[in-house]
Amino acid sequence: MPTPLELIKKKRAEAVSRIIGKGYLSTKREYVGMATCEIAAGSKDVMEVFQKAVSRGLTDVYLSQKGCAGRCNLEPTVEVIEAGKSPVKYGRVDKDRAQQIIERHLKNGEIIKEWVID
Amino acid sequence: MDATSYRIILCDGTSCINKGSRKLAAVLREQLDKHGLTDRVTIGLSGCLGMCEKGPIMVVNPGYTIYGSVTENDIPQIVEEHLVNGDPIARLVIQEDHLYNRFFRVFGDAKFFGKQMRITLRNCGIIDPESIDDYLSLRGYEALAKAITDMTPEQVIAEVEKSGLRGRGGAGFPTGRKWKLTAAEKRTPKYVICNADEGDPGAFMDRSAIEGDPHTVVEGMAIGGYAIGAQTGVVYIRAEYPLAIKRIKRAIEDARAHGLLGKNILGSNFSFDIEIRLGAGAFVCGEETALIHSIEGARGMPRPRPPYPAAVGLFGQPTLINNVETWANVPVIILDGANWFRTIGTETSKGTKVFALAGKVVNTGLIEVPMGTTLREIIYDIGGGIPFGKRFKSVQTGGPSGGCLPEQYLDTPIDYESLAKAGSIMGSGGMIVIDEDSCMVDVARFFLEFTQDESCGKCTPCREGTKRMLEILTRITEGKGRPGDIENLERLGGMIKKASLCGLGQSAPNPVLSTIKNFRQEYEEHIHDKKCRAKACKRLVSYEIGEKCVGCGACRRVCPVNAISGSPKSRHLLDQNKCVRCGMCFNTCKFEAIAKV
Repeated sequence: MPTPLELIKKKRAEAVSRIIGKGYLSTKREYVGMATCEIAAGSKDVMEVFQKAVSRGLTDVYLSQKGCAGRCNLEPTVEVIEAGKSPVKYGRVDKDRAQQIIERHLKNGEIIKEWVID
Repeated sequence: MDATSYRIILCDGTSCINKGSRKLAAVLREQLDKHGLTDRVTIGLSGCLGMCEKGPIMVVNPGYTIYGSVTENDIPQIVEEHLVNGDPIARLVIQEDHLYNRFFRVFGDAKFFGKQMRITLRNCGIIDPESIDDYLSLRGYEALAKAITDMTPEQVIAEVEKSGLRGRGGAGFPTGRKWKLTAAEKRTPKYVICNADEGDPGAFMDRSAIEGDPHTVVEGMAIGGYAIGAQTGVVYIRAEYPLAIKRIKRAIEDARAHGLLGKNILGSNFSFDIEIRLGAGAFVCGEETALIHSIEGARGMPRPRPPYPAAVGLFGQPTLINNVETWANVPVIILDGANWFRTIGTETSKGTKVFALAGKVVNTGLIEVPMGTTLREIIYDIGGGIPFGKRFKSVQTGGPSGGCLPEQYLDTPIDYESLAKAGSIMGSGGMIVIDEDSCMVDVARFFLEFTQDESCGKCTPCREGTKRMLEILTRITEGKGRPGDIENLERLGGMIKKASLCGLGQSAPNPVLSTIKNFRQEYEEHIHDKKCRAKACKRLVSYEIGEKCVGCGACRRVCPVNAISGSPKSRHLLDQNKCVRCGMCFNTCKFEAIAKV
């Protein structure tokens, strides 16, 4: 009979492999802020733009929501993490900016400096 | 971020400390000083990064370079080659991107996160809050499993007590002692409650914590249940937080599906489950006895204590009630140990505190800082100072139960005692920055209006006293203040604090008393000179049309009492006898020709 501690470690390993199965090891991971405040600032629309792009064939991107990152005055926030590179956080993202993030950053690797939170 | 500025994170987990990470910090500082880099490189600590076998761990951002097995002898090379020349040192780099390493991504925006330390918010803004897999992957529920497997309930309580954790709801009662008292009660069943009835104006810590990482709260409560011998937990959360409710509900269901809640958790003898109760949004229901009444279906009113809920709580049974943030600390303390937790913070207040930073500050936000951080560091380093070049006037901590501190208290290190000594309170974490455009009398009136409105009416000092104080304050802001008003406010405030039944009344006069103490002159100006220096009290402001007037007539048309006259293209006149000081002309004028005096 495994101990609870052994069981939880097994559960963790399973969880990790499930996350990887969802595409976590994609070249780019993308997180959209989805707390109440972010949603009030318009993050649902932003999320929709990304979801649509993924359903229309944007590949090698792991898309996820995230909770409050604390940057109230810069919401909605979107984060792009690329293996081996410094994470990029965009602030005040709207539908238009989301579309441009897809075209310029996700597809062409360009970091859109003027929207980056530093 | 400046291309040449770096933020270095040293892992401060137990294992890395044992391997000498603390010494690295000292050597690093020495080397930075030697190369004149002190201004451009900041050093931060993190909790266990989960790479213990390769410790001590050092992370250099930007670039997300993780160095492992760093020794003191490596530091000069890291400084010279990486920080000065920009070349990471290949032989030290760990090329691993573990899922559970993700959380130092938050340090990307170094100016905002540089002075922060995220323990309770460690997963907030990092993981998908609706995915139990995300939480599990970051050592989620390992603390619960560790407690059940390796620790007796007494050992869990001893660990929490040793950690020095104090109640984050505001009053700061030692958490371990509360657990011990509830555990000592013989009667069963016992209950565990999470107080998520966040009601302070401007506060959103608990909502964000639950929305961002609901499983932490669930895990903390389960550990609490194990420690005191309870099988039922209740999350009391206000109905105005629909997303937080949805996510905690989801978290509870997912945890149940994984055998982490319910009967025989993880195959052990321990059973525990959690229910949700929605509050209707009464401020007084954040008070523990009123909250318990509300869960029971009774009217949300406090009762005298003792007996404390530890002895007579929910349905008359022993009950352990803690705030959201307190619960969120528990898994970390069990996993990383009380000894590590004790190293953070001040002598009397250990760990970190979450604040909802709001008001007149550039970066409003949800922040978490080690106890002992000063108000100045929060407002200027993290918050980025006051916008539009305005002057700082005051910072309000503790919401309607707290006080307003002026500039001379900015270097106060934040902990329960020092804030109380300065005349405010820690509170649950609301922090509102006030600039020169706000009138302190009006601020005090605003908070008192809130508490007066939220007073449940059970005890006379609070019900009648706050009403009378509000009348006096309103009069003062309308220019009808009388000599003796300040003394009356002080006397009434003192009485309400001493004689009220619960924390609401006992703290309601604080905003008024602290502004009288720190900004007495503003009160006197209102009363004697009928002047409001911030020009915020409408009745004490008059308007004048100046030379910039081009005679466009916009103000004349908008004035509801026809107090403005003048022919087109010539300077208009304002009749002070007719003017009702509504300010509409001031807001309408496009030529800045109308001045407040």
